[in-house]
Amino acid sequence: MTAQPSAAALTPVPSREGLWSRTRTLVLQQPILQVLVLAVVVVWLLITVPGIANLRSASALLIIASLLSLAAMGQTLVVILGGLDLAIPGYVIVGAFVSANLAGGQGWPVPVAFLLTIAVCGGAGAAIGFLCHRLKVEPLMMTLGMGAVLTGGTLFLTNGNYASAPPDFLRGLAGVTSTTFGLPLPPIILIVAVAAVLLWLVLNRTPAGRSLYATGINVRAAKLTRVNTTAVWTLVFAASGALAGIAGMFIASFSSGWAQSIGEPYLFSGLAAVLVGGTTFGSIRGSFTRTVLGALILTGLSTIIVSNGLAEAQSRIIYGVIILIVVALYGRERHVRDRF
Amino acid sequence: MNRVLGMFQRWPFGFAMLLCAILLIINLVVSPSFASPARLGSTLATLAPFVLVGFASTPAILSGGIDISVGPLATLINCVFVAVLIPAGLGDWPLAIPLLLALAMAVGAINGVLVAIVRLHPVVATTGVLFLLIGASLTIAKSPIVAPDNWTRPLAGSIGVIPGAVITLGAAALVWFLLKRTVFVRNLLATGESDSSAYGSGVNVTAMRVLAYTLGGLFAGIAGIALSALLQASGSSLATTYALLGLAAAVLGGTSLGGGRGGLLGTFFGALAIYLLQQLLTSAGVQPNLIEFTYGLLLIVGVVLGATLLSPRISRRTA
Repeated sequence: MTAQPSAAALTPVPSREGLWSRTRTLVLQQPILQVLVLAVVVVWLLITVPGIANLRSASALLIIASLLSLAAMGQTLVVILGGLDLAIPGYVIVGAFVSANLAGGQGWPVPVAFLLTIAVCGGAGAAIGFLCHRLKVEPLMMTLGMGAVLTGGTLFLTNGNYASAPPDFLRGLAGVTSTTFGLPLPPIILIVAVAAVLLWLVLNRTPAGRSLYATGINVRAAKLTRVNTTAVWTLVFAASGALAGIAGMFIASFSSGWAQSIGEPYLFSGLAAVLVGGTTFGSIRGSFTRTVLGALILTGLSTIIVSNGLAEAQSRIIYGVIILIVVALYGRERHVRDRF
Repeated sequence: MNRVLGMFQRWPFGFAMLLCAILLIINLVVSPSFASPARLGSTLATLAPFVLVGFASTPAILSGGIDISVGPLATLINCVFVAVLIPAGLGDWPLAIPLLLALAMAVGAINGVLVAIVRLHPVVATTGVLFLLIGASLTIAKSPIVAPDNWTRPLAGSIGVIPGAVITLGAAALVWFLLKRTVFVRNLLATGESDSSAYGSGVNVTAMRVLAYTLGGLFAGIAGIALSALLQASGSSLATTYALLGLAAAVLGGTSLGGGRGGLLGTFFGALAIYLLQQLLTSAGVQPNLIEFTYGLLLIVGVVLGATLLSPRISRRTA
C-alpha cells in the first residue's frame, strides 16, 4: 500500500529533476507544509484573539494539544503499520475510570493506577494485535469490538458514579496553573515533549523502529528479511492501548473528572491529528513529530473557530475539509494500471 | 461436522443466519409476545434504519474499500428532511423523496470520486466526509426538532396490513435485486477481489468504485427516511453510533473486509443478529452497559470464527 509520492521520492526520475520536483520531494519528506500551516494558524490566532498572548492561555492550549497528541501517539504507530485503532475511546475510558474512581475515589496509590491501566489497555491491545496478525483479519472490526467491550465493562463497573476526581498529584501534572521545577509550564507538556523525543529516537535510530516501518510497508517482505512481524503487530497495538489509557488518565485529571462520552472525541480528533500531520497508512513518511504538529494545528484552529463565535459543528466541517485537502496534497495512492 | 463447516464456507452468511435462528428462539422463550403480529410493525420499524445503514456500507466494502460515513449520511438526510424540507414546505413525498435520495446519492458519489479519482485511502476520504456530515447535521439541527405529522409516519407503522418498514427495506432490496440482473454486481465483486485483475480484464475499475459509493449513498438515503419515520424528529446525535453499527452488521454477515465476498442478504442477517441480541438482553433486564460489552464480545468472536473455522482459504490450505 505504498503511496505513489513516497515511491517517487525514493527513486527520482532523472529527466524530471527540476526545481519543482526537488521542492516536492522535500515537502514530502519533511513536514515543512505543516510547520508553515502552524505558523499561519498561530499568527491568525494572535490577530483574531489578541488576549490569548499570555502564559495562562498559552499553556492551556498547549495542554489540550498535548493530551490530543498523547491520545493519538499509539494511533500514529498503528497507522504506520497500515491499520486503524477504533478502540481508543475504550482505552481512554479505562484510564479515566482508573484515575478518577480507583486512584481518586478508592485512594489507590498512583503508581498502581498507572500499572493497572497499562496492564489492562496494553493487554487488550496486545491480544488484538496478535489475533489480527495471526488470523490475517483487518484490525478495524477487532478494535471496534474491543472498544465496545472495554467501554461497556468499565461503565458497568462505574455504575453511574462519576462524582470522584483524580488525586491531587495527577491533577497537578495536568493542571493549567502547575509548574515544573520552577518553570511556569505544566508537567504534562514536558512529559509529552520527552515522549516525542524518545519515540523519535526509537523510530529513527533503533532496529525496532526500522522493523516497524518495514512491516508497515510490506509484511511479507519484512517477514522474509527475518523481522518478527507477529511481535511488531502485538507490540504496536499494545503500545497503542497503553498510551491511550495513560492519555485517558491525564484527560480525566485535566478536566477533574469524567463522563460517559469522554473518549469519543479523542478517536476522531486523534485520527484527524495523525492525518493532518501527514502520516499515511503503511508508509515511511509517518512519525509522531508530525502528529504533534497536526494536534497543534487542530487545537489552534478550533480555538480560532470557537473565538469567532462559531460552534463545534463548524469546527467539525473545517476538520473534514482540512483532512481531505492535506491528504489529497500528498497521500494519494497509485492508479490500478501502475500496480500490476 | 465437516459438511456443516463446508456449508458455512460456501454461504458466508450461514453463520449469521444460524445465530439469528438461535437468538430468535431464545427471544421467543424469554418473551413469547415477541413475534406477535401486533408488535411486528414496530419491531420491523426499529430494525429498518439499522439494516439499511448496514446495506449502505456493503457496496463500498464489496468494492474493496470501506465507507464509514454512511451512518452520519443517514442522520444528515433525517435532519435535512425534518429541519429544512418540512419548514420550507417541500415536505410532501413526491418532492421530498427525490430530493433526499438525490442528495444522499450526491454525497455518496463525492465519496466515490475522492476514493477512485482523487485516490485517497478509503478510510481517510470517508473520515473527512464523516466530519463534514456530522458538522452539517449539527449545524442544521443541533438539538432534536420534532417533526409535524407527515407522510413518513406510516412507514414506521403499517400501510393497510403491510408493515411500513417492509417498503423501505423492500425498496433497497429491489434495487439490489435488479442490479444483480446486470453485469454491475459481478464487475463490482471482481473489482473488490482483485482490482488489478479486474482492470486487466477490461472492467472500468474507477467507474465501478464511484458507482459502489453512490449506491451506498442511495441506501443511506433510504435509511435516513426510515430513521425519520421511526423518530419523527431530527436525531443528529445518532451519527457515530450508526456509523460503526452498520460496519459491524456487514462484517458479521460474512462480507469480507478485503472485498469481493458477501452481499446484502448477509448484511441483513448480520444486522438482525445484533438487533435480536440487543432485544434479548434488554428484555432479560441486563444493564445497557453490559449489552455494549456483550455486543463487542460477539463482534470479536464473530470475526475470529469467520477467520478460522468458516474461512474457505484456511480449509483449502489444510486440505
